[in-house]
Amino acid sequence: MINLAARDIEHTLGKFIVTAMGVGMLLGIVLIMIGVYRGMVAEAEILLNDINADLWIVQENTMGPFAESSRVHEDLKNIIFVVDGIDKSEAMTFQNIQLPHEIKPVRVFAVGYDVYGTINPINKDRLIAGRVLKTNHYEIVVTDKTGFKLEDKIKLGRNFYTVVGITRNTVSSGGDPLVYISLKDAQELQFLYSNKEIHNNEARGVKNSESLMVNTVLATIKDGYDVNEVAQSIRKWQHKNVYTAQQQKDILTKNLIEKSSKQIGLFTAILVVVSTIIIALIIYTMTLEKMKEIAIMKLMGLPNSLIINMIIKETLLLGIFAFIFGNIFSHFTYDKFPKLVVLEIPDAWTLFGVIIVASILASFVGVKKVISADPAQAIGG
Amino acid sequence: MNQQIAIKVKNLVKNFGKDENLVKVIENASFEIKKGEVVALIAPSGAGKTTLLMMIGCVIEPTSGEIWLGEDMVYKDKWMAKDTRRIRREKIGFIFQAHYLIPFLNVLENITLLPQANKVSEKDAQKKAMELLKYLEIDDKAYNMSSQLSGGQNQRVAIARALANNPEIILADEPTAALDGERAVSVIKMLKKIASEQNVAIITVTHDERILPYCDRIMKIQNRGIVFHDSDEKQIL
Repeated sequence: MINLAARDIEHTLGKFIVTAMGVGMLLGIVLIMIGVYRGMVAEAEILLNDINADLWIVQENTMGPFAESSRVHEDLKNIIFVVDGIDKSEAMTFQNIQLPHEIKPVRVFAVGYDVYGTINPINKDRLIAGRVLKTNHYEIVVTDKTGFKLEDKIKLGRNFYTVVGITRNTVSSGGDPLVYISLKDAQELQFLYSNKEIHNNEARGVKNSESLMVNTVLATIKDGYDVNEVAQSIRKWQHKNVYTAQQQKDILTKNLIEKSSKQIGLFTAILVVVSTIIIALIIYTMTLEKMKEIAIMKLMGLPNSLIINMIIKETLLLGIFAFIFGNIFSHFTYDKFPKLVVLEIPDAWTLFGVIIVASILASFVGVKKVISADPAQAIGG
Repeated sequence: MNQQIAIKVKNLVKNFGKDENLVKVIENASFEIKKGEVVALIAPSGAGKTTLLMMIGCVIEPTSGEIWLGEDMVYKDKWMAKDTRRIRREKIGFIFQAHYLIPFLNVLENITLLPQANKVSEKDAQKKAMELLKYLEIDDKAYNMSSQLSGGQNQRVAIARALANNPEIILADEPTAALDGERAVSVIKMLKKIASEQNVAIITVTHDERILPYCDRIMKIQNRGIVFHDSDEKQIL
């Protein structure tokens, strides 16, 4: 049997391709929207994966250190270290700071860690220049996106810091570039008051011991121990909140990104609906243009199924071509976006399924027009 | 029914509207058309030529009466078959005022579309289409698109398409209206030849006086009824 859909498309190939490209750009935006969400999840997990701790011990009744503020004493790491099943434990700080830069200040997320400790948050695979921190003071490792170079001097608080290393693709869950400083420096920046304020506090009888605080204590578990059991034991005896790596990921991805994901999800759904409506309108117009031929075919006695088959095939082909163009468009543009966009094959296949269903739904308007076409229109003027 | 009768219409009535809006178009029309006969259907505009043609073609439902196509009664106060489209597909060929070939199909595909819908294999449908194109002296255009043909060539392709499903009846709606005198006569001669050689009954609606001498009989709608004239009668229109 003659493939009417293929013949019709061949006949108006240029118009069909331009139309498919237009719809394809919409679908490309859908893919990029999904990619933005994937990028947010990936960014949220970068720091967690690089630190690679099994347990996050934070202030009781908080979801720290990222979702909520958390303060614990630095020496908690020593108490945690002797808990049965703990292999390593270290204290860390996390804070947003603004680095002065000759063009414009750069907002970054600073990770403070014990330079001589056993858990190092800098993933050496991401280190593209220089080295990790080696001394307890006035050294900083920055992400390439901050624009700083090795040996640059950056004023933070009362002191100048020297850039000793540069990393790539290191961002916080909020999308800010990461920088790494020593725990001592970080504690000073976060907790140490100015001299005048210290004098003032002492005059009021307030002791300034807060510089020995940290935001979290991290721990890894020895082989053969159950992470949940060790976490439960710390919760019970230390009166702290303890999160496993997975729970911390869930806090970041499910809680922190949830609103963004809902917003992106809604935006994506609207775009899919708009694409479906546009495909339906295109098919409706294409069917209207063929009404005389359809009336003739019906008058000659061709069954509706043959004509409907043509309309559905054309709609599906439009959807498939638009999907291909959408993928090409998204792959050519995704790296031009300022935030990380992660295009994943399963997302593309899901969109393909959605587009096939949407195309079938969209073809109904054309099919309805075919069914209602009067063969008598073919005769007479 | 006589085996030589291709179309039999008995007491056919067609009204449009109801009550005070009732418009009577055809009243108690009865006639028979034999196989191999070419009959011109004439009447002033709005008299119901196309309506009558479409009732015979099972496109418009009559109000009452009987229609026989060959041996089969297709209408007696209601359609006798649920699928009137199938009757059209198997028994009737249509030719229109313009060729109305499907623009995205080539000549051969236009002709083979209907037979293939009738479950004829692609190979057999193409063989028959090529025979028809040869018969109509246009076989060199088999793979051309209709936009590449002249008006006369397109109308010959339309005739080939109407013949492709071996119909017993051809219904033509002013097939020469868009053609100049020479081509109009050529087309009606061709229809005449087809009618006699392939034993097909042809009804052609026309306003074209030039083609009347080539028709066997002239059927005129007059006062909502049917009156027959011989083709050599003068002053019919």
